[in-house]
Amino acid sequence: MAALEFRLPDVGEGIATAEIVAWQVAEGDRVREHQDLVEIQTDKATVVIPCPANGVITRLCGTPGDTLDVGTVLAVIEAEGGAVAPGAPGNGARDGAAGADAPRDARAAAAPAPRAGLPLAAPTTRRLARELGVALEDVAGSGPHGRIVREDVERAAAAGAAPVSPAPAAPAPAAPRAAPAAGEVVPLRGVRRTIAHALTRAWLEVPRIIDYREVDATALQRARASLRQRALDRGDEALARALTPTPLVVRAAVLAARDHPYVNASIDLEREEITLHGHYHVGIATSGPDGLTVPVVHDADRRSLAEIALEIAELAQVARERRLRPEQLAGPTITVNNFGSLGTWLGTPIVRPPEVVNLGVGAIRDRVVAVDGAAVVRPTLVLSVAGDHRVLDGDTLGAFVNQVAALLESPVLLFEDLR
Amino acid sequence: MVVGEFADAVDLLVLGGGPGGYAAAIRAAQLGREVTLVERAGPAGLGGVCLQVGCIPSKALIELADAAQRTRDMRDAGLGSDGVSVSLERFQAWRGELCAGLARGVGRLLSDGGVRIVHGEARFNRADRVAVRTPDDRVVFFEFEHAIVATGSRPVALPGLPFDGERVLDSTAALALTAVPSSLAVVGAGYIGLELGTALAKLGARVTVVEALDRVLPTVDASLTAPVLRRLRALGADVRLRSTAQALDDGALLIAGPEGEDRIAAERVVVAVGRTPNTDALGLAEAGIDVGADGLIAVGEDMRATERIAAVGDVVAGPALAHKATAEAAVAAEALSGRPAAFDARAIPVVIFTDPEIGSVGLTEGQAGDAGLDPVVADFPLAASGRAGTLRARDGFTRIVADAATDRVVGVHIVGPHASELVAGGALAIELMAAPGDVAATIHPHPTLSEGLREAAELLLGRPLHVARARAPGAA
Repeated sequence: MAALEFRLPDVGEGIATAEIVAWQVAEGDRVREHQDLVEIQTDKATVVIPCPANGVITRLCGTPGDTLDVGTVLAVIEAEGGAVAPGAPGNGARDGAAGADAPRDARAAAAPAPRAGLPLAAPTTRRLARELGVALEDVAGSGPHGRIVREDVERAAAAGAAPVSPAPAAPAPAAPRAAPAAGEVVPLRGVRRTIAHALTRAWLEVPRIIDYREVDATALQRARASLRQRALDRGDEALARALTPTPLVVRAAVLAARDHPYVNASIDLEREEITLHGHYHVGIATSGPDGLTVPVVHDADRRSLAEIALEIAELAQVARERRLRPEQLAGPTITVNNFGSLGTWLGTPIVRPPEVVNLGVGAIRDRVVAVDGAAVVRPTLVLSVAGDHRVLDGDTLGAFVNQVAALLESPVLLFEDLR
Repeated sequence: MVVGEFADAVDLLVLGGGPGGYAAAIRAAQLGREVTLVERAGPAGLGGVCLQVGCIPSKALIELADAAQRTRDMRDAGLGSDGVSVSLERFQAWRGELCAGLARGVGRLLSDGGVRIVHGEARFNRADRVAVRTPDDRVVFFEFEHAIVATGSRPVALPGLPFDGERVLDSTAALALTAVPSSLAVVGAGYIGLELGTALAKLGARVTVVEALDRVLPTVDASLTAPVLRRLRALGADVRLRSTAQALDDGALLIAGPEGEDRIAAERVVVAVGRTPNTDALGLAEAGIDVGADGLIAVGEDMRATERIAAVGDVVAGPALAHKATAEAAVAAEALSGRPAAFDARAIPVVIFTDPEIGSVGLTEGQAGDAGLDPVVADFPLAASGRAGTLRARDGFTRIVADAATDRVVGVHIVGPHASELVAGGALAIELMAAPGDVAATIHPHPTLSEGLREAAELLLGRPLHVARARAPGAA
């Protein structure tokens, strides 16, 4: 124990004197460090000065109304030890707030009200939600404490509008709205017009068959995780991000298509010809701000998995920024549509003539499946592969899907012939 | 007439040229609508109550009164002055030019937007038609695609004290005074009564405020009003709470209060006990719109009362404030033009130009608790602000109410000089869901009153610079 003379500290801004307003302790009190000692008033402010140490007050120098100079002894404390008591109360607002909270919590417990209130979204985000027909109440905000940001709304709009066609993210004009004006007319323009005409033609022209195939994604998940980790270990974060399931599916589709040339083909009914392409330009269904676009990974059979992944990421970015160049959209021979990223588990893709296959990929979800006669939970995805029946029959399409499924269930085979 | 009623076909018809109506007209014009605006006072009446006989002229009067008062207050700070003289006659000339100039500005904005202005009183006589009686007593008909009702509100009279424009004045007549009355009774201690009473007290009138309830500014959180009441009394005003005005008797107003009846010297009496929406003479029933007993039109989030007709401002629920009307007006114009629009403001600021001013936005601590939030509160006192000292203002504070659960500002309440300006920062924080830490980390300029908001945020975070602890609301 040691007598500590506590002097009026410099409270800043050139303040030389202060008036004692009220002592918060009395002589003889046992005090703890940070406990309120005295309230003083300067020209600048009212300040509560905390105790500098644990101990016992042996003397208070001055009475309320007295004016002291900075540096004069304010109190004498018989200090004990020297350590600061951990968890000693501070003198901030939180303490007062916590004290005030107690009865409120009791009241809340008595009448459990839901965390009332309105969705946590800024004005422009709320407006965007209205425009996209998104109910903010249903959106889980990704920001601090559930704040909803623009991207959350855009995601929700895409998921809500997740179509069964290859249009993964319907653009604003086609999205359902909270309260559309009666008879409102939105002109078909730009990308939307192109989509509308192209898909009408596709729907009317192509006799479509779809092969639905459930795939055990356990090994695929593991392979993807390993590939990502390896990319991260090498410090290649861009590649790690780009390694979604899509590039693996693209590679599987290309490897299988090499063995099934009629899926990577086109048909011309007027000339009554089927062209087997022999080159593999894979269209990637991509949602952009104006609607669906299908940029192309050219010569995917001659690219490494990493190259495919990075190119898909690049194309998606460029599409979002409306900067796709014509050559990036040119000449697809087969299309891959990963609507699983929107949450869709099963889609019904539309074949885009003159192509003859659109390979749809659903979301990977844990499902109960039968393995060796027992019900087990496995990550599973559903392929829905649409084919043009003029070129493909159930068996030819099914043979292709068999091989894609086998490659995805044993992804090591995707690296059978590395290039 | 045998020819019947020929109606002029119009696209979007706006009734009323106040801050709701002209804002709706301009927004609708921006959206490509053909807009016709009916204003009963004609082009000279554009801007409505706010511009003509409300916000703007009252602030002009308050500015004059403050200048006079500050001149007196600054004497012991070194200002030499041999007395201040005030001429309300000169003031009225200035104020007339000011308001007329602003109204002309609104008219230009409207005509630049292609809005046609019709002078007359409108009344619906069908769901898609109004009759407008023009000043020369003709009636013209308009058949509209859409309409926006923005006809505002008017002062309510007391049964025993009908407005006569001489002794018993509404706020409009009070703002038109050409001489400071020696004594003035203000009936109603709402914001209009207190703003007028404070200003006229500063201009030299002996003011008595008569309020039926037990406190002044009953619509404002009680903890914000104490500095206003203290100042009002320091200016020499007598404030009679729990008292009702009975009748005029010679030069006195008879009131009944807790201590029985009393006579109050009152050369003039201003009655400011509320406003009532201008919906009674609109023929709204003909348009298929039911008006409640309170005179208000029920509207949806998109401000529409029917498929064709929207209503904004004082004729719909909510505080009768110009900025609310303006915000609702944009929503109405957009909704009627096929845009997805909704009035979903999280907070409407309230500003009161008393001395000190009050600026309040968002939830009080009690409201936040009632809403199921987890409120924490900090007050930064004006006395700890150096800038406030230079303004000779020590009585007031900046209060932040935050929700601890979501770490965001949900209310800002300011009492002090320029609180009406400062509260906009609070509104921004609320709409953008700023955390108290965001406010604290935002550098506010020194030496200004705006620092109060940052200091209050620091207080909430438990690390104040100029005071050391949060004060429980209401605590001294």
